[in-house]
Amino acid sequence: MSTDRLTAEPELQQPVSPAADKQTMAGRARRFGALHQAERTLRSMRAYGTVILFSSVSQPIMYILAMGLGLGVLVGEGGDFAEYGASSYLMYIAPAILASTVAMAAGIEFTFPVMEGFKWRRLYYGAQASPLSPGQIASGHILAVSVRFGIHAAIFTVVLYLFGAISSPLGVLMIASAMLGGLAIGLPIMAYVSTLRDEKGQMSLIQRFVIMPLFLFSGTFYPLTNLPGFLQVLGWFSPIWHANELGRVLAFGQPSPAWLILLHVLYLLGITVAAWLATVRIFTRRLGLEEWRGRTPGAKADAKRQDRLAVKDAADVDRSAGAGTATTPDSTTPASTALPRIAFRRGFGANYYSGNIRAVFGRGLTAIRNNRGVIFLSGLLEPVLFLTSFGLGISPMIAGVDAEQVGLGGGGTISYAAFIAPALLAVSAMNGAIFDSTWNVFFKLKITKLYRTMMSTSLGPVDVAVGEICLALFRGGIYALGFIGVLLVGGLIDPLAAVLMWCTALFVALGFASVGMAVTSFMTRFQQMDWMMMVLMPMFLFSATLFPISVYPAGVQAFIQALPLWHAVELMRDIAFWDFSSLTLVHIGYYLVMIVAGLALTTYRMKKLFLR
Amino acid sequence: MPVEHAIRATGLTKRYGDFTAVDGIDFTVNRGESFGLLGPNGAGKSTTMRMIAAVASRSAGTMSVAGLDPEQNGPEVRARLGVIPQQDNLDEELSVRENIIMYGRYFGLPRRWLNAKTEELLEFAQLSHKATARVEDLSGGMKRRLTIARALVNEPEILLLDEPTTGLDPQARHILWDRLFRLRESGTTLVLTTHHMDEAEQLCERLIVVDEGRIMAEGSPAGLIRDHSTREVLELRFGMDRNQEQAQQLTALLSSGAASADGAAAEGRATGDGGVGVGGGGGVGFSHVEVLPDRLLVYAGSAESALEQIHAAGLRPMTSLVRRSSLEDVFLRLTGRTLVD
Ligand SMILES: Nc1ncnc2c1ncn2[C@@H]1O[C@H](COP(=O)(O)OP(=O)(O)OP(=O)(O)O)[C@@H](O)[C@H]1O
Ligand SMILES: [Mg+2]
Repeated sequence: MSTDRLTAEPELQQPVSPAADKQTMAGRARRFGALHQAERTLRSMRAYGTVILFSSVSQPIMYILAMGLGLGVLVGEGGDFAEYGASSYLMYIAPAILASTVAMAAGIEFTFPVMEGFKWRRLYYGAQASPLSPGQIASGHILAVSVRFGIHAAIFTVVLYLFGAISSPLGVLMIASAMLGGLAIGLPIMAYVSTLRDEKGQMSLIQRFVIMPLFLFSGTFYPLTNLPGFLQVLGWFSPIWHANELGRVLAFGQPSPAWLILLHVLYLLGITVAAWLATVRIFTRRLGLEEWRGRTPGAKADAKRQDRLAVKDAADVDRSAGAGTATTPDSTTPASTALPRIAFRRGFGANYYSGNIRAVFGRGLTAIRNNRGVIFLSGLLEPVLFLTSFGLGISPMIAGVDAEQVGLGGGGTISYAAFIAPALLAVSAMNGAIFDSTWNVFFKLKITKLYRTMMSTSLGPVDVAVGEICLALFRGGIYALGFIGVLLVGGLIDPLAAVLMWCTALFVALGFASVGMAVTSFMTRFQQMDWMMMVLMPMFLFSATLFPISVYPAGVQAFIQALPLWHAVELMRDIAFWDFSSLTLVHIGYYLVMIVAGLALTTYRMKKLFLR
Repeated sequence: MPVEHAIRATGLTKRYGDFTAVDGIDFTVNRGESFGLLGPNGAGKSTTMRMIAAVASRSAGTMSVAGLDPEQNGPEVRARLGVIPQQDNLDEELSVRENIIMYGRYFGLPRRWLNAKTEELLEFAQLSHKATARVEDLSGGMKRRLTIARALVNEPEILLLDEPTTGLDPQARHILWDRLFRLRESGTTLVLTTHHMDEAEQLCERLIVVDEGRIMAEGSPAGLIRDHSTREVLELRFGMDRNQEQAQQLTALLSSGAASADGAAAEGRATGDGGVGVGGGGGVGFSHVEVLPDRLLVYAGSAESALEQIHAAGLRPMTSLVRRSSLEDVFLRLTGRTLVD
């Protein structure tokens, strides 16, 4: 007999259960509720504990190798960090890298899980039905994330010690400053996210417009004073800068006036406390008696558009009714004309592809219509931010890049900005494509189950996969347009190169999108996405983006050359500096293989997933 | 290729790992018929539906839907189907109207035609006033109605309804029943699962009862009642914990009576996991007693006379109710919902 049948007699003769004493239970919840919630969150984090540990170990190593040693070679003689109290470039950036990685983690931990709690999985509404107060639910999450920060920072610090990037034992204290920095940047974001009723790309906007700029203009890789004055202001407001500076004081005793140190501490504490209180308040509004349902971003624009459509549709209906036969106004007899033939392909692959990619693409456009302006803006801004930060911030430390050294003909030196610009375009194409094909696809796959709906119509898996990839390309094309425009205006490339680079950006995005989608189809949980990020980060750091790979020994070079981003970066540089060789064809070939293999695997997986 | 049957499955099996959800079932659904799948939770109904809808693969067996194999011709089969899944899977990023339009677009239908069709479907689902609302703002029943309306956008030949009326208010339920009648009249084949036995009696011409992936019985609702139950049922409550012992007593009491002339009564069924007693009769046409957690069901040709006998024997149930036998009784009997053994 099956086991899930209702049992007849509940066991009544049990000894008094701990649940019987309601008074004590309520009291316990009142006192320790936040801890219970924190425990729950930590338990769910344990599921991806390996990822956290692994990233805590690998991130410092990667940054040390890439920025400390790689970029350090370029900075080398030019920079002197003794005046800051550090004996090497690596030592100078170490505390800041710790603070920055904590801030990045904050950008994840205080956004997605909160949205998950309120909307995607409605976990908070489950907790709401228990004696926990909304404030305790909020604080529980914050506490759990703080624990995660602490573990990450501790491991990170140990690795830095091992590499000799920290010398003073007092450096341990930078764990505290990094955690405080993480809370100061994360809690305001959590407060904001918890007001949202719906996610319409806000998570990615937060990454692109808040975390990224703050990270880039916080004097992580160079002293803030390297930047022009108006950009320094951005740093002053950034909690990451304060955490960076505090960490430097603690790690190697960077000379700072006492008032400034006090200011760092007070600034970070102030934001943390204020944002914590605000978060608790918002949680109380949403989960308390008030039952506020949150703000719907873009609701007004949406309503306006819907009204417009309604008017248009009504007109359409009138017209088609007028054109058709005059039917009786009986609602049950079809007022519309007979069903048009439903088109689908027969023959080869008919089980996979019904020839209706357009519908999938159209659905995507309808869904993103409200964010139009924002997409343009974000595409324009992100690479520009990178260019400004590294171009302006690091240039003073680097004279220029030797053309010979980076394998470009013609000789002479190239300005650092011109050197990194094509690479940043490739990176931006990669990031956009990956974001669209992983996070977005994962949601539609697992959370909103949109693909399941699509697959109950005459669409086949190929229609869905290709439609999604087209959407990723559409956005990628727009992102690239903005950046290339800036490069063109800045005189870093000429018009013909601009056109070619735009096409290349799409080509590169297609490669990453098809592989990204294939990989996503294997994911079962959010947190596995972190593994993906762990592959992307080193790729960004090492693939000749910020410094030529000739700084590395041959073996490492060969490894980097096997990675896709390196090929994209080189391809972009070949076009930007108009310097083609047989290697150019290799780069193109690499992407063709990636596209074909990615699409094939995606299709196979889609079929597997939906025809279980 | 005109095929007689809409769906034909033989030896249909679905395994998840070493768990068998559907265990070699055979059934045929004729064109224009309305066909029901009944069974307790976890019986394998939804799994069967998903295999018909070409969104789940078979582990064994054959299946033809409108003369095509759903595994080989997924898109073409699905183009002929309307699917109402057990759980609403509406697109929360689109408005109510856009949900229907986009769904139609997935079938490759032209937008102009869809605009008119959508208004019609919105009216049918009584959602015209919510056309521009966000899906999230709809009530549970409204979402259900939208899911149903959406499934009709391609004017399907075969409509698969997995517990369609769950969460609907009585009015909406009757409107849906009416609509389904009309669809059937116009030649649409209906396949539905439900836990409401009245719904199955109303809507299904023929049904199968499945349990643990196997077919327990097949037939028309009236036929099933005739074959697997008595004409009437007497519901008795004796209060907690006393049902079991009372059942023994009642069985003894009622089957000791004179042999019945009532043909509808006991036809010597082996008590699988079912009733306590089999047999004899009395003037009441007694068949057996079913023990439910909260009450006893006495199956008899004449429940009224059974009750008289019980009173005469000095038993005093807290409440008693005489009613006609229904599909629910068949269901309880066949799927062993009793708690004996
Ligand atoms: N993807 C899956 N993986 C493993 N087991 C599954 C899967 N889907 C369904 N099952 C199992 O198959 C059995 C039948 O499930 P199914 O959903 O078909 O039941 P059902 O008859 O529709 O029940 P209900 O009336 O509750 O909807 C269940 O025991 C379920 O746990
Ligand atoms: Mg089901």
